[in-house]
Amino acid sequence: MSSYKGLTQEWLDAWKQKIAESKEYKEIAKDWEGSVSIIVNAAPDKNLPETAYLFTDYWHGDVRDFVLCDEARALSARFIMSGEYVRWKQVATKELDATKALMQGKLKLKGDLTYVVRNVKTINKVIDLLTEVNTIWPDEA
Amino acid sequence: MAYDQDLSFVYLGTTKVVFGVGSSSQEVEAEMHALGCSRAVVVTDQGIIRAGLLDKITASLGAKCVGVYSDIPQDTGIDVIDKAAAFARDKGADILISVGGGSVIDTAKCMCILLTEGGSLTDHEGIQLLTRPQMPHIVISTTSGTGSEVTCVAVVLDKSKGQKILIVESFNAPRVSILDPALTAKLPPLLTASTGMDAFCHAVEAMTSIHHEPIADALALQAIRLLTKYLPRCIEHGSDLTVRGQVQLAATMAGWAFGNAMVGLVHAMAHSIGAVIHVPHGVANGILLPYCMEYNLPDAADYYADIAQAMNAGEKGFSEEQAAQAAVEAVFAFTKKIGHPQKLSEFGVKEEHIIKAAELSMSDGSILNNVRFVPDSAEVLEIYRKAL
Repeated sequence: MSSYKGLTQEWLDAWKQKIAESKEYKEIAKDWEGSVSIIVNAAPDKNLPETAYLFTDYWHGDVRDFVLCDEARALSARFIMSGEYVRWKQVATKELDATKALMQGKLKLKGDLTYVVRNVKTINKVIDLLTEVNTIWPDEA
Repeated sequence: MAYDQDLSFVYLGTTKVVFGVGSSSQEVEAEMHALGCSRAVVVTDQGIIRAGLLDKITASLGAKCVGVYSDIPQDTGIDVIDKAAAFARDKGADILISVGGGSVIDTAKCMCILLTEGGSLTDHEGIQLLTRPQMPHIVISTTSGTGSEVTCVAVVLDKSKGQKILIVESFNAPRVSILDPALTAKLPPLLTASTGMDAFCHAVEAMTSIHHEPIADALALQAIRLLTKYLPRCIEHGSDLTVRGQVQLAATMAGWAFGNAMVGLVHAMAHSIGAVIHVPHGVANGILLPYCMEYNLPDAADYYADIAQAMNAGEKGFSEEQAAQAAVEAVFAFTKKIGHPQKLSEFGVKEEHIIKAAELSMSDGSILNNVRFVPDSAEVLEIYRKAL
């Protein structure tokens, strides 16, 4: 299985492909509309010298843009999730439940929480599919 | 109750608690001074003013009280908060002192965000967005149930969605909570029962939340013990301040419990039916709790067995399942004993309301914390029907 350097465009492409290929995702996410940006705060001691901005866009079971972006585009997303690198890595490796991370303030969410709750299965599926991407994280490189 | 080896949790309990008969007027000015503040806006409602509960408090503040805002309904909303914050801003407030129940306290919590960060509450939609402490807030509770006096959670009606939304911000817990049993002495029996069941529900739901943890469990169990023993006495002898104090402490303990472990299905359903047809929050919780316990029973037997023990329910030699069932029956019996309403229809709820509320429940943040996964609104509707 190929490995991808985490938080790079090729890694995003691999994640997008996993989602696009998932029939289960297509069914679960049939009602989801809108973009989610992921902001990973810089962590120089973890080999992430600059804050990473990721823009991901979903539409009724399809996947649209999945790109590294600048701050302005990230802030234009319907939902903005932000947090420290170590927290994101914990979520991406399923060491930390995303809901728990939000409730405990380990991650932040800007946007309509009721919409997210209604579609929590979609969020969980997207994270599940990320764990299937063989990732070399910046602090492991 | 044993905990897994991989237990991992965060416990937040930042609110200073000041307890004692007379503390509301004797301590508030000193607590305000200790926070370095000199211009307080008091946030309350008309009922509190009519009951005369505000007089001694504002008198003790003297010129440090620069305004009183009292236009707060039973269920606070975004529009209410925006207006109240504008009032406090005009008065140059550097601290808010809320005197009231859950709606008043949650209004003041959200005002703190607007007075610190600016904008409207709609600009702060999300979860855990704040990055710094907010305007100081002292709570003086006049009911024993909400627990909001020690949590970082606020519940607000969003009229545009026709739904109650949760504002969860660790940086926005009140700085000080003053618990004065004397302020609850005149609560009528029904309100005492329903607010008490609100607290009871917080304790049960915190224990059975997927985020439950040892400190919250301990507080929840002690709250259940105190409420089982003292809530019935409180309803019979409302002027007994010792008994009032026990219930007030139980409510605060339950508040700390759910402020960390969160609440579940009962609250998702109570928020939703409250948004659809304004069933008072405590009443909805009290009616729905035993029905939701029945629903959760397959996934919560061990927790309910502990609750049975705390309530002195069941018999020696009971299996875990038998004890859990005894807890559910004990809660049904307890609500009857204290004269709590038993059915939602007593508040005008009809089938059309619960259909709408069942849908809304699926997008209430509380439902994510429930011990049993709720797959769809049909299951929620079935519970509503049993409680109708």
